[in-house]
Amino acid sequence: MSLLEVKDLNTYYGDSHILFNVSLNVKRNEVVALLGRNGAGKSTTLKSLMGVVTPRTGSIVFDGAEISGQKSHLIAQAGMQLVHEERRIFGSLNVEENLILAGLTAPNRWPLERVYAMFPRLKERRTSRGTDLSGGEQQMLAIARALVREPKILLLDEPFEGLAPIIVRDLLTTCRALAEAGQTILVVEQNITAAMTLADRVYVLNNGHIVETFTAEAVRGQPELLHRHLGV
Amino acid sequence: MSRQSPFVVEILTAIGLVAAAFILPYVGFSPTTMSRIVVWGLFGVGFDILFGYTGLLSFGQSAFYGTGGMIAAYLLTMVGFPHVLMSIVIGTIVAAVVGYLVGLIALRRTGIYFAMITVAIAEVFYFVEFNPLSAYTGGENGLPGVPTPTLPLGFTTIRFNTDFSLYAFFAFWYFIGIVIALRIIRSPVGAILSAIRDNPLRAAAVGHNIHSYKLTAFVVAAAYAGFAGGLLGVLQGFMPPEAFTFDTSGQLVIQTAIGGAGTLFGPLVGATVWLYLSDFFQNTLHLGATWKLVLGVVFVLLVCFLRRGLIGAIKDLYELATRPRAKKEPKETTPIPGMTAEEEQKAAHIEIARGPAPPLEIAKEPPPPMPARHRAADDFTGPILQATGLTKRYGGLVANSDINFTVNRGELRGIIGPNGAGKTTFFRMLTCEVPPTSGKIVFEGRDITGFDVTEVCQLGLTKSYQVNQLFARLTVRENLTISALAELRGKFRLDMFSRLQNISGLAEQVERTLELVDLTGRADVAVSALAYGEKRRLEVGLALASSPSLLLLDEPLAGLSPRERIEMVKLLRSISQGRTMIVVDHDMDSLLELVERVTVLQEGRVLVEGTPSEIKSNAAVQEAYLGGALAA
Amino acid sequence: MINWGNFISQVFNGVVLGALLALISSGLTIIYGTLGILNLAHGAMFMLGGYAGWLAYTYTGSFIVAVIAGSLFVMLVGVVMERVIIRHFYSRPHEDQLLVTFGLGIVFVETIRFFFGSLSKTVPPPHVFAGITSLGFMFYPTYRLAVVVIVALALLALYLMLYRTRLGMIVRAGIEDSIMVDSLGINVYRIFMSVFGIGAMAAGFAGIVNAPVVSIAPDVGEGILVQTFVVVVIGGVGSFPGAVLGGFIAGEIISITSMFNPGYSYVMLFVAMTLVLVLRPYGLLGTAGR
Repeated sequence: MSLLEVKDLNTYYGDSHILFNVSLNVKRNEVVALLGRNGAGKSTTLKSLMGVVTPRTGSIVFDGAEISGQKSHLIAQAGMQLVHEERRIFGSLNVEENLILAGLTAPNRWPLERVYAMFPRLKERRTSRGTDLSGGEQQMLAIARALVREPKILLLDEPFEGLAPIIVRDLLTTCRALAEAGQTILVVEQNITAAMTLADRVYVLNNGHIVETFTAEAVRGQPELLHRHLGV
Repeated sequence: MSRQSPFVVEILTAIGLVAAAFILPYVGFSPTTMSRIVVWGLFGVGFDILFGYTGLLSFGQSAFYGTGGMIAAYLLTMVGFPHVLMSIVIGTIVAAVVGYLVGLIALRRTGIYFAMITVAIAEVFYFVEFNPLSAYTGGENGLPGVPTPTLPLGFTTIRFNTDFSLYAFFAFWYFIGIVIALRIIRSPVGAILSAIRDNPLRAAAVGHNIHSYKLTAFVVAAAYAGFAGGLLGVLQGFMPPEAFTFDTSGQLVIQTAIGGAGTLFGPLVGATVWLYLSDFFQNTLHLGATWKLVLGVVFVLLVCFLRRGLIGAIKDLYELATRPRAKKEPKETTPIPGMTAEEEQKAAHIEIARGPAPPLEIAKEPPPPMPARHRAADDFTGPILQATGLTKRYGGLVANSDINFTVNRGELRGIIGPNGAGKTTFFRMLTCEVPPTSGKIVFEGRDITGFDVTEVCQLGLTKSYQVNQLFARLTVRENLTISALAELRGKFRLDMFSRLQNISGLAEQVERTLELVDLTGRADVAVSALAYGEKRRLEVGLALASSPSLLLLDEPLAGLSPRERIEMVKLLRSISQGRTMIVVDHDMDSLLELVERVTVLQEGRVLVEGTPSEIKSNAAVQEAYLGGALAA
Repeated sequence: MINWGNFISQVFNGVVLGALLALISSGLTIIYGTLGILNLAHGAMFMLGGYAGWLAYTYTGSFIVAVIAGSLFVMLVGVVMERVIIRHFYSRPHEDQLLVTFGLGIVFVETIRFFFGSLSKTVPPPHVFAGITSLGFMFYPTYRLAVVVIVALALLALYLMLYRTRLGMIVRAGIEDSIMVDSLGINVYRIFMSVFGIGAMAAGFAGIVNAPVVSIAPDVGEGILVQTFVVVVIGGVGSFPGAVLGGFIAGEIISITSMFNPGYSYVMLFVAMTLVLVLRPYGLLGTAGR
C-alpha cells in the first residue's frame, strides 16, 4: 500500500481548469519526481496535495486516510510538508523562530540541534531575520522548517531554482542523504539533472495531464524519453 | 435597464411621487416625513452613483450635505439673499468645488484607506463648522429662519409654505435629480464608472483615466449632497448643525444598503423604511431610543443575509417567479462521449500538428478581420516596437538585463523561456505595467519608456491578461463597449449627458469584436454566467475592442481544455491578420505552431531568436530547457 | 504670547492622549494586518470597556477589578464577534466588511444606551492616584501621569506578547503569510479569533483606563474611532510600531493645537494626515501592499 495515493484529481483556479484527472502514487521511502514544462501544473499538484488549493474532485489518500478537501493545518498534522517554490520564509521572524514556529504542533519534532547539524549555515545565522538571508540560506531554512516536523512525506517545489551551482550541489547532497535515510519525497524540478540524481521514479506532466511515467533507470538509459514533453 | 424603451423609469418615478402624495398619508406617513424621505432619497442618489455604481464607499458625505446646506442657509438668513432656489444652487456649487478638493486627497487611495480618509475629512468639517466658523454657521444652534421657497409666475406667486406644498417642491427636485442621474448612468461616463467598480485595473488598462472618472463621481455625489443639504434647511426652517455629524453619513450608508446599492432608488426605499420604522417604533410602540437598536440589528442581519438590499431581494424574487426552471447552465464544451482527457489531448495535438492553416482558408473565415486602427503613426515605417538595453532590478535581484528586442509591423512573435527566465518581468515592461530600471522602449517611433498602461493603450498597445480581468457584473456586450469607448473617446471626456447609442462607430466596433471572438450569441449574458472558455475569448476580445496595432497576449491558452486550445489558436491566427502580436505561453506545441518568430529568454537575457523550426533544433535552447544533463 | 506652563501641561496631555491612541490603534492595526478586516466597531469596543469597567467598579469598588473586567469582557465580545459574524466576511468584499462592522458598532452603542441611558458615567481614579502631583515647575493630575505609565505598561505587554511569546510569533507570521502558517500545522482560524480578541481587548483596556479622565457615554467611541483612523493612516496600516508612533504624533497635534483653538485640532490632524499621504502614501512605517 502506497503512502500517498492520488486518484483523478481535478483542480481549478476560479473556473480555470488546471489539473485534469491527475493520478499518481508514492510509496514509503520512495523519491518520486514530477517533471514538466512550466505551466504544466506541477506546483498546482503539490498545492492541491497540501490543501493550499482545494481540488474540486478526486481523492487523495495519505497514510490510509482521505485528506482531499481538508484544511492545510490538518494535512500538516497528518504528516505532510510542502516546501513552497517561493520558500515563504517569515521575513520578520529570525531563523530560529521560523524553526520553532514550524515545530509547534508536530507530534515528533526534531531538536534544533539535529537541524543545525544538517544545516550548519543556519546555526551561524540563527538570529538573522528571514529578510536578511540569501536565496540559498532561505531555501535551506525552508527545507529545514519542513523537516523539523519530521514529515512522513516531503513535497519539494523547485528546491534548486535560482541558486548558485555550488549551493545546488550542497543542497542536493543533503537531499540525497535524506533520501538514503528513508525520507519519502515528491519533488518538482525543472533542473532534470538534479531531479534525476534523486528520483527513483518519474511522472511527466503536460498541460495538466499526467502523460508518462518512467523508472529512473529507464530515463538514465534513454534520456530522449523526456524530450517529447520537456524539450522544445 | 439600458434596453427598455426610453423614459419608462422617469415616467414611473413621476407617477410614483405623485401617487405617494395621495396614498402614503393613509398608511401613517405625515407630509413632513414624506419630505424628509425625499430629501434623504435625493442625497442618496448622488451617493449611490459614488458607492453603488463606482464602488467607492465614503463615510464622509455629511461634509458636503452640511456645506451645501450651510452656504444656502447663510445666504438666506445672514446675508438676506432673497432667492431660495438660487441660494441652494450656490450651495450646491460650493459643495461640488469642496468635493473636488477633498476628492483630490481622498482618492489617492482606495478601499479601506478611502473609507478612513473620508471619515476623517468629514470630522474636520464638523469641528470647523462648530467652532472656528460658528459666527457664520451658528455653531451648535445652527441657522434659524430659513424661508420657504416661492415661485413668482407674473400674475401670481406660488408659495410653498404648507407641509403638503413643500412635499410637492421636494418631490419635484427629487424627480429632476433622478432624471439627471439616469442620464449620467446611461452615458459613456456611467458605463465607465461601473467598469471601475468591477475592475479598476482593467478599466485603466483598456485606456480610461480612472482617477478622473472617480473624481467625477465624487464631485457628482458632493453636488447631490449639497443640493439635498440646501433642501434640508428649507424643510426644517433652520439649518441644523447635525447635518455635519458622522451619524448623518452613517445613516445615508445604512439607508442605501437597506434599499440596495447600485439601483439609484435604493436610498429612497431605505429612507422610507428607516424613517417609517423610526416613527413607528417611537410613536406607536413607544420604544423611545430603543428604535435605533432594533434598526441596527435589522441592518446587521440585512448585510449578512440580503447582500443586495430590499430592491435586490425583490428583483431576485421576481426573477424566481417569472422564469421557473428556465435557467440553464451553459455547457462549456460538449465532451465527446467515451473520450478520455488523454485522448482528447492527443486529438488536440494532431489537429495542431496539421500546421498553420493556409492563408486562403483564413480569408474565407466568416468574421472579416477587424482592421487595426489607422493612425498617423502608421506611416512610420520602422519596427513597431523596439526595446534597447532593457534592464530590471528588484533590489539586488536582476530580473532582466540588457535586453534588445525588435518586432516588425505585422509580425506574430512568440516569447518562451524556462521558469525564472524573466518572461513575466519583460512582458510587464513592454506593456508599461512596471518601468524598466534602465533602457528604452520605442513604440511606432515614439519613446514610451515611463508611460503608464492607460497612455500606451491610447497609443494602440495593449495586452490580454494571464488571469481573466473582466468586468464581472456587466454583460459581454457592455464589457466590449467599455474597451471600445476608450478608443473612440480618449482617456477622459465629460460627456455625462450624451447617450451611448449616439457614439458613432461604437455599435459597429462592438459587433465586429463580438463576431471575431465568437460571442455574438452570448452578447447580453452577464460575464458571471459565461463558461471559462468563453471568458477567455472575452478576455482577448477586451484587448481587441480597442483596436490595438500591437497586441500582447499573456498566456492566452492558460486553463483551457485541449479542445478549447485548438479554437483559441484558430482565433488568434485570424485576429493576427493586419495586426502585430506578441504571445507568451507555456503550451509550447501550440505556440510554436502559431507564431512566425520566437524569442527565447534565459536568466533574464535573450538566448536566441529565430523561426520555430530553428528554435526546435537549437542545442542551446534544448539545454536551457532540459537543464543540460540529458542533452549533453 | 505663549504661556509656557500651559504649553508644557498641554504637551503632557498630548502624551496621555497619544499613549491611549497608540494602544487603541495597535488593536485596530493588528486586527487589520492579520485578518484584513477594518473594524469600524473598534470605537464601540473602547466604549464597552469603559462601561464593563464602570459596572464592575460600582459592584466591587475596586479599580483593579474594573480594569480586569473591562478588558476581559471586551476580549470576549471580540472573540464572539469574530466567531459568529466576522468569520463569514473574510471572503466578502471590503465594502461588506465595513458595513457589517459599522452596523455592529451601532448595535453595541445602542445596547449600552438601552441599559444605561445616554447620561455619562464616571469612575473615580483609584485612591493612590487621586489628587495632583507637583512636578517642580507645575502641578499635574496624578492619575493622568499614572495613565501614561499604565498605558505604557500595556503597550509594553502588547509588545512582549507580540515579540516574545509563541502566540506573538504566530501572529507576526500570520500578518505576513497566514497560508504558510496554516501549512505548518497551525490552525490559523483559531489564531484569527485570538487576534480579534486581543485587538478588541486593547481598545477595551484603554476604555476603562481612560474612564477617570474623561467620563464615559455611549457615543464616546465615535470620536476615538476617527482619531484612530488618522493614527493608522499616519503610522501605516498593519504596523504595530507605526500605530505607536502615529498615536503619539496625533496626541501631540491635538493637544498643542487645542491650546490655541480646539476647533482647529482636527484641521491640523487632517493636514498631517494629508502630508503623510502625499509624501509617504503607505504611512510612516507602513509597507506597500497593505
